[in-house]
Amino acid sequence: MDVSGEQEPGRRWMGVGRSHAADSRPAAIEAAQGALSGPDPKLLIAFAAITHDPQAVLAGLAEAAPGVPLVGCTTHGEIGPGGPADGTITVAAIGGAGFQVQTCVATDVTGRQGDAGFEVAGCVSRVDLPHKVLMLLTDGLVRDQESIVRGCYRALGAGVPLFGGAAADGWRMSGAYLFKDGRVLTDAVIGVAIASEAPLAVAVKHGWRTVGQPMIVTRSLDGRVYTLDDRPALDVYLERLDAPPEAYTDPAAFTAFALSRPLGVQRRSGVEARNLSTEVDLVGRSIGGGGAIDPGGLTWVMTGDEESILEATDDACRDALARLEGHAPLGMLTFSCAAIRAVLGDDGIQREGARLDRWAGPLPYAGFYTYGEIARNHGIDGFHNQTLAVLALS
Amino acid sequence: MPGSAESLHIQQLVELMAVVSSSTDESSAVQHAVERSAQALEAEVAAVVFDGKVAASIGFPLGAAPNEDIVAVSLHERDVLDVPGVGRCPVATAAWEGSKPGHLVLARWGEPFAIEEQNLIRGMARLLELTLTMLRTLAAEQSIRESLQERQRLLEHLFTIQRAISRREDLQQILDTITLGARDLLGDEISLLWLRDEDDTGRARLASAADATGILPGSALTADMADAATASQAMTVGDVVVRQGGIAATEVVSRFGRGPVCASMGAPVHDSGVVTGALVVASCDEGRVYEPSDVQTLRAFAQNVSLALTDANTVLRMQQAHHDALTGLASRRLFMEQLTQRLAMADAEGTTVAVLFLDLDRFKDINDTLGHAAGDQLLTVTADRIAGQLRAGDLASRFGGDEFAVMLHRVDGPGDAAAVAGRIGTAVGKPMYVAHQRLRVGASIGVALSTSGRTDPVELVGHADLAMYQAKRADAGGYALYDPAAAHPNTRPGAVRA
Repeated sequence: MDVSGEQEPGRRWMGVGRSHAADSRPAAIEAAQGALSGPDPKLLIAFAAITHDPQAVLAGLAEAAPGVPLVGCTTHGEIGPGGPADGTITVAAIGGAGFQVQTCVATDVTGRQGDAGFEVAGCVSRVDLPHKVLMLLTDGLVRDQESIVRGCYRALGAGVPLFGGAAADGWRMSGAYLFKDGRVLTDAVIGVAIASEAPLAVAVKHGWRTVGQPMIVTRSLDGRVYTLDDRPALDVYLERLDAPPEAYTDPAAFTAFALSRPLGVQRRSGVEARNLSTEVDLVGRSIGGGGAIDPGGLTWVMTGDEESILEATDDACRDALARLEGHAPLGMLTFSCAAIRAVLGDDGIQREGARLDRWAGPLPYAGFYTYGEIARNHGIDGFHNQTLAVLALS
Repeated sequence: MPGSAESLHIQQLVELMAVVSSSTDESSAVQHAVERSAQALEAEVAAVVFDGKVAASIGFPLGAAPNEDIVAVSLHERDVLDVPGVGRCPVATAAWEGSKPGHLVLARWGEPFAIEEQNLIRGMARLLELTLTMLRTLAAEQSIRESLQERQRLLEHLFTIQRAISRREDLQQILDTITLGARDLLGDEISLLWLRDEDDTGRARLASAADATGILPGSALTADMADAATASQAMTVGDVVVRQGGIAATEVVSRFGRGPVCASMGAPVHDSGVVTGALVVASCDEGRVYEPSDVQTLRAFAQNVSLALTDANTVLRMQQAHHDALTGLASRRLFMEQLTQRLAMADAEGTTVAVLFLDLDRFKDINDTLGHAAGDQLLTVTADRIAGQLRAGDLASRFGGDEFAVMLHRVDGPGDAAAVAGRIGTAVGKPMYVAHQRLRVGASIGVALSTSGRTDPVELVGHADLAMYQAKRADAGGYALYDPAAAHPNTRPGAVRA
């Protein structure tokens, strides 16, 4: 079955709405109403600044779209037409008879990440249109997000692409929230099975390159790197980069310095970036953050600049749209990394937004700055740091 | 530092071993192996097959794995696997023998697995075999050994050794640790590790030895297999051999005791699946009787030796693929990989990379007159002299025949690169003694510098190559800088400078 939007207008649609209002409930209503641009809405995806009151956001969304399944999360900035923004509620909606949506949530995820991923993947079995993707929204403060993705893969196998992001809290690192219908959740994973009559395409890119010779990870455990080349990881890392003295002693200075200098782990198809800026231990001299770095492996310091990151923005959009097999796109979900935002700065993210605008043209798109991106087309891994992940819908 | 493709494969084996060897039971080891091998090869599907049955798989929806097809792949009856939602995927499989033969099967969308990836899969299968055998040994050990404390000591020993292997510590140190661990845990005075002599299969080399005082310094002792009788028997039988009495004073083991050796036990060790030596313990205690639990303990230590040897040799084979066997310099492939990375980095940093292309003058004459052995010696000396002129981070490669390439990073301009070319030319041109003759061999060197926005490594090497021919023609000073104006695609070497 392949019924494109052009053949039967309104069979599938996507809309995006945004509100800059500070009052959470009316802001949510305004954003949801802006997103509801077609008949038979199937799903609202809400991205709300951490400054908003989560319960009021949910109340507003429920009022604007009663009975429509809702998922969402807090952010480190909301992405949408008109550029990235802070303090907004940005809502994407999809609908029409050509889409099917099923959602599922797993709670108390810490310590059982793999099982949680396995559980939420169960919603895919309840949709049967030919093109499917499992979208995941996770709590960005939960460790070992790879295991969540791996759990999904165990349940689904290779045939279902994965896409998603980890909820953020505006760099407070004290608590991000997930939204699922009427509930505000932490330590949870939301799975959204999206099925369509037409192709859904996932792409992911990063704009980093390795610097200098690799280091051997001589001790690491649970996402923390304790030693590199048999010396304290923090010192080896900073020495390699000629870091300023304050980065050795001041956590904030370290984070600011390390955000733009992830560690790279080698994979067959290239070096993947791992953000190790957020969990520095100045006493134990270890570094940690998003994503596992395995003992015994090689790792590189990586750097990037605005140009290389914006090229990756272009590449991810181009790749996602190209994977639609010639079908006209309806819109995109764009999940970019919070650490990239720190590198680009406020002006730079506006230029990132301009690139997204150019690729989207008149089409709607929405997303957020995440604490980790999820994108899997091939292979069994799909959790990323410092990337742009794109889901294109047709 | 190894190149990226090589280091990737080494890293993947290490990671597989680190994960699999930390498993506490067979089924979790198999599940870890399946997931980790799929991850390493970026494959959609991985499976382990025992006795014609799929023991674990990943890549298919729950309960929907096409087990018959996977088994058929393991038997080489199919060369593709249909993966729902992905399509027909090329496959690779590697088998292992031993007490519980099995197959590792992988399927990946896109291009078929490359030869080196198939080698990696075979390496993974070997590591899995050794780990599974070890886990079975430990399970048997646990059922036999009564003392929880002793069992704990064994596990601690084995864990230390496996960590050492996965951290790529020095092989000799690892072997010494195992030898000493076997002696300590079995409570004997003597522990010897014999390896078959690589040059003479009738002899064995003592790779590690411990007596009552501890590890003995390396003696490089070799002995006739007959004088390492326990080891020889274990290697022949392919299993643990126990000898109670009847140990001759002429046997090497008798040199290590404080009196006559009364009992000895040996377990074979393997390298990449082939019996290659034996781990032997011995006691001068007249009442020493080896119990079944002792047999299992020795077997576990011998398997650790196999793991260390297999791992080390797998790494060596991978390194050889990236280095010129004669000179030890980087291979052409490794050089081009590194140059690609360096050029991208230099372009981003705004720095310059230089490539020197070097061709020896009169090499063919020397090879023809003095023979290939002399030619090889000349190349080795030349390689050392080139490498001696480089900074850390620069890279020298033998491109083939008498051609060498050198990459210089962060050069300050043509003058800087030319100075290095001059130094290399002088160093290479100094007299050397080859085949009892004093020779002087000059070199023609072409120099090319990277330019902003151009990061094609083939182009840069091509420019240096052209400049080298200009140097040969000019016969002046031994080196020439690439000059785009003078370059012509059909430029060929002129008269070879003597």
